[in-house]
Amino acid sequence: MAFETKPRRADVCIIGAGASGAAAAKVLCEAGVKVVALEKGPWRRRESFGGDELANINRYNLWPDPLLNPRTWRETEDDAAREEMFCPVPQMVGGGTVHWQGWLPRFTADDFRMRTVAGDLPGASLADWPITYDELEPYYLKVEWAFGVSGEAGANAFESHRSGGYPCPPMPVSRYAQKFRQGCDALGWNSFPTPQAALSRPFNGRRATVVSAFAQQHGDPTGTRSSALNVFVPDAVATGNYDLRPNSTVGELVLDGDGRIRAAVYQDEDGGVFEQEADVFILACGAMETARLMLLSRSGRFPNGLANDSDLVGRNVTFHEYSAAVGLYDDPVYAWAGGGYVSASTFQHYGHDAARGFVSGGHIAVAGVGIPLPINWRLPGTPAWGAEAKRIDREHYSHSLAVAMVLHDMPQHSNRIDLDDSLVDAWGLPVARTTLKPHANDLAQGRYLIDRGADILEASGARSVTKVYADRVTGNCSHQHGTARMGDDPDTSVLDRWCRAHAVPNLYAVDGSPFPTGTGANPTLTIMANAWRVAEHIVARRGAPSARTSS
Amino acid sequence: MPDTFFDPHQRSTIEAAMARIIPTDDTPGAREAGCIDFLERTLSGLDYLFAKPDGSGFEVLEGRSARAWQTRLDIMRTKYADGIRDLDARAEGLGARDFASLDPERQDEVLRAVERDAAAAPTTATVSTGLAGPVSAEPALQQTSTETDLDFLPLLVTHTRQGFYADPIYGGNRGRVGWDVIGFPGPASLKAVHDGTYTTLRYFAEGEAEKVKEFHDGL
Repeated sequence: MAFETKPRRADVCIIGAGASGAAAAKVLCEAGVKVVALEKGPWRRRESFGGDELANINRYNLWPDPLLNPRTWRETEDDAAREEMFCPVPQMVGGGTVHWQGWLPRFTADDFRMRTVAGDLPGASLADWPITYDELEPYYLKVEWAFGVSGEAGANAFESHRSGGYPCPPMPVSRYAQKFRQGCDALGWNSFPTPQAALSRPFNGRRATVVSAFAQQHGDPTGTRSSALNVFVPDAVATGNYDLRPNSTVGELVLDGDGRIRAAVYQDEDGGVFEQEADVFILACGAMETARLMLLSRSGRFPNGLANDSDLVGRNVTFHEYSAAVGLYDDPVYAWAGGGYVSASTFQHYGHDAARGFVSGGHIAVAGVGIPLPINWRLPGTPAWGAEAKRIDREHYSHSLAVAMVLHDMPQHSNRIDLDDSLVDAWGLPVARTTLKPHANDLAQGRYLIDRGADILEASGARSVTKVYADRVTGNCSHQHGTARMGDDPDTSVLDRWCRAHAVPNLYAVDGSPFPTGTGANPTLTIMANAWRVAEHIVARRGAPSARTSS
Repeated sequence: MPDTFFDPHQRSTIEAAMARIIPTDDTPGAREAGCIDFLERTLSGLDYLFAKPDGSGFEVLEGRSARAWQTRLDIMRTKYADGIRDLDARAEGLGARDFASLDPERQDEVLRAVERDAAAAPTTATVSTGLAGPVSAEPALQQTSTETDLDFLPLLVTHTRQGFYADPIYGGNRGRVGWDVIGFPGPASLKAVHDGTYTTLRYFAEGEAEKVKEFHDGL
């Protein structure tokens, strides 16, 4: 490997072109800022995606290949780590939004001050956010309108104030969503159409979203779903200010003599090594990879990793956990139609209620059980093979659905991402090691939410219900947060309220890493809204000449 | 390009085992679906691992990805070769010539014994500890699988299910029999998904498709 010609200096260098990196790029580029984006994965076009469960789920067409991008996990720091694909996210332009079906609920006002709402929880490191819901609200609306989110304003009785409605009405009602809402109605619980990153009708020059069975965890060959790849990337490219370089793996950020980042050092596809200089650097790699890159970037000034004076980089990591109660009905629910995620939701058990005996709660929603085929799942206690397994496949396929939960797992100082001390990836870099043990609150909250899901199934006429409690956090929903938490105090946070590192004046992070708490809702809408907010702030700072020299 | 891997004996052994994993009853099973041909193609090399998304052929793997898949194939091929020898040895223990010549009930006994022994071995992934695949106890897969961590039997179960339910382009699910068994109205071909004409809106709640008909060419 040899150093090649140095690329031209950029105004802003963004590491990553997924949900957050592409959102920031759109805002910056549209304001006239010259952006270079370094994305580890390929830049795939819609024509390269297909309705192929084998390729997409089993053969790493979209997921990272564990032989190239391995990770390790251990429960505590006293345990030996073992190789495990902990919380993978597609690594390509568009990131996780390439294969998601995009449930986009907003967080609530209380989510931004859970420590104040719930008080201290022993063993957890709950913290209020340095920003409020009201500060983020305008950016929620901007993302919803950029994406053409389909939803029904006011339908979620527990949603906080919104300054405008959704651009598209809700998606058509699936049979599984209908069952879910019937169950909630019977229980007297509020429910609502899950806001979705899809177009229920043509919007902004785009066609209505095709309602294929190959949706959740499949790429979109029609380009009609809303994703960073289909929306933000084209917006940014259209400005002429977005130099997006796929297959570019950043291994280190290096400092200048003033303690600012001078350059991102990256390898291209052919192993050529380059230094990309810029005024400002934005990390948008996902909370795990952002922490990993910071920890890989050691220097005399930061011997324990970039901006890691506080030893907080990688700590307080949260992942949610996805599990469900599964119900079987006499009548067909076709929970594979639309990919199984054209859904309905309830926030009835989302907010904190001290009477429940645990902190916070989570989003409950209905989903399919296959994605869409029964290749990759079976219910606990049922055989994996033989005549009985086949009978269950047949009986359940069109007649079962899952009522799933998004667990609000508690941040803990001892739960962390750091660098594995023995395993490297295909680029020769130490891999992310997760140390994670669920808090008792996580398990109690998870049981409660699964039990409430079972209530919905029973109230909607399911003839049998199977509860699958989450007894450990496996990172199974790709959500990841907290590894560079934001706050006002440099002793207890890595980033400030603008997601700028306390210790490095030209370093920002805009993925889930700034989130002090993970909340109980799908995070990507909030991640994109926050990235938009931070990008606007960076534009404003650049506009002020004094800030230009001091920042 | 070769699209087979097993010798005739290996093939008949695995085909017999697959027929116990998804048996034929009043509906087709693994045998009729051609799950064995699916697996032969999978293990044959790098030429049939990823269909082109429009169904017009197969992708050519290169670079890191090709090397990773060669590694994976080597691991899986070894597991199959060893697994087949184990099945035959167990059959011989029952006084038979080999696994394939046992009657179906005794084949089930052998497979159950393999499953029990694997579950008792603490150092290997088993039916209950895998993260995904039919090895998982999770109701909804939200995460990709790591097949090469699986023992022989869970791997065979996984591949049999893949061969039964995956797109017919991979050599199994012949005549879409796997989809017919469970009642999945799958696309006519990968192309129908790719060009956006495949829709499942008519399986939504009554009257819903009609309301949005004007927006959907596929209806």
